Amino acid sequence: MSDGANFSIADMMFHHTGDAHELEFLPFGVIHLPRFEPVHLGPLVLDLSPTKHVVFLLLAALITVGLLYLAANGIQRARAAGKAPRGFSGLMEAFVLFVRDEIAIANIGHEDGPRYAPLIMSVFFFILTCNLLGLVPWGASPTGNLAVTGGLAVMMLMVIEVGGMVKLGPKGYLGTIFPHVEGLSGAGAVAMSIGMAPIEVLSKLVKPFALAVRLFGNMTAGHFVILSLFGIVFLFGQFGIISWGIGIVTATVVTAIMFLELIVALLQAYVFALLSAVFIGMMQHEH
Amino acid sequence: MMLPLLLAADTDGGLPGPFQVNFGLTLWTWLVFLVVLIVLQKLVFPKLLGWNVEREQRIAAQLAEAERLQAEAIKGMEEQRGLLAAARTDAQAILAEARQAAEHERATAIEKTRTEQDEMLARAKREIVAERERAVAEIRREAVELAIAAAGKVIEQRLDAPADRKIVEEYLTEIGTRA
Repeated sequence: MSDGANFSIADMMFHHTGDAHELEFLPFGVIHLPRFEPVHLGPLVLDLSPTKHVVFLLLAALITVGLLYLAANGIQRARAAGKAPRGFSGLMEAFVLFVRDEIAIANIGHEDGPRYAPLIMSVFFFILTCNLLGLVPWGASPTGNLAVTGGLAVMMLMVIEVGGMVKLGPKGYLGTIFPHVEGLSGAGAVAMSIGMAPIEVLSKLVKPFALAVRLFGNMTAGHFVILSLFGIVFLFGQFGIISWGIGIVTATVVTAIMFLELIVALLQAYVFALLSAVFIGMMQHEH
Repeated sequence: MMLPLLLAADTDGGLPGPFQVNFGLTLWTWLVFLVVLIVLQKLVFPKLLGWNVEREQRIAAQLAEAERLQAEAIKGMEEQRGLLAAARTDAQAILAEARQAAEHERATAIEKTRTEQDEMLARAKREIVAERERAVAEIRREAVELAIAAAGKVIEQRLDAPADRKIVEEYLTEIGTRA
């Protein structure tokens, strides 16, 4: 890969951020994942072979559940002893409570918030783990893949819309597609309602689309920045002593960007969870 | 809309680039996330937040209790205020009644006193009149005696007292009517 003559930074970046059918642990080796025959569903071809991102999704799931389970055990032990949880358990409790109270309940409401809180908390911690996995050596961010972020966003779309249908009833839900315009009545109101419908539907679809693209873009962009900076090292690799200077500067900058990426990983998990909660809340309180 | 990209994705064996959407991966995402959600919701969050939820419920119960007590206290205060107002009204009514009775009593007393005074005055007047009449009669008698004595002295003879008295009395009456 580091053969200077025909090395392409763009190829490297795409290779690293893209999905793959093998796990690279260079220089120790490559694990080839099994491949299944694609499933044909009408015009849709579904390749259910486990890919790199599937492996990291599973890893993120294990880490999320495992860490929260450990924290839960720690909290139970501390509570049983009549003490406040400390250390990791205390941190995770504060985290979970923050997500539940400040993101889920604060945006969805005291009445409906608790019902959606487990979903919001799960989404937050799962996305956070996925984001952070891209920052460890040999790791990859499943959230840097549109199929993953799109999947999560479509799921949120369904939660928002189905939750709205259940809460508002058929008539109330139709009101979110055919809005009643204030101050209009008769034929004007009907025309306006029908005219607004495409915009309303579009606005319903834009929300999850923005969720998906925002998360994907932030994760991919961060990796692009880091990989581009690493690319500088390879580009200037043949300049002798100067290359050492460039290498040191680049490594310093990349380290700084890595810290930035830590913040971005946290921030994007927060934003995804927050906006999901906001959209659910908006739908729940639609009149 | 991403279908062409998806179909193109698998042509060369790999999945190069981050912009291709592999719907298989989307299914994997759903599967993995749903498992995470169910496990967290069923096993982890109750344990993680159970104590907290319990505490919140306790606090909520205490808050509700405090609110109930406050409402009760306010109700009690209102009741007391009502009672106080009623007592005040009663007291005022009693006071007004007493005042009215006293007024009535005073008026009666004054009336009685006035009547008594009038009676006394009338009696006094009557007595004065009687006394005066008696005095006048006395004077008249004295005058008659004096006149007779004087007349006896003048004519130096004893006259028949009752007949003379009659003459003098007639004369005095004459004088009295003249006067």
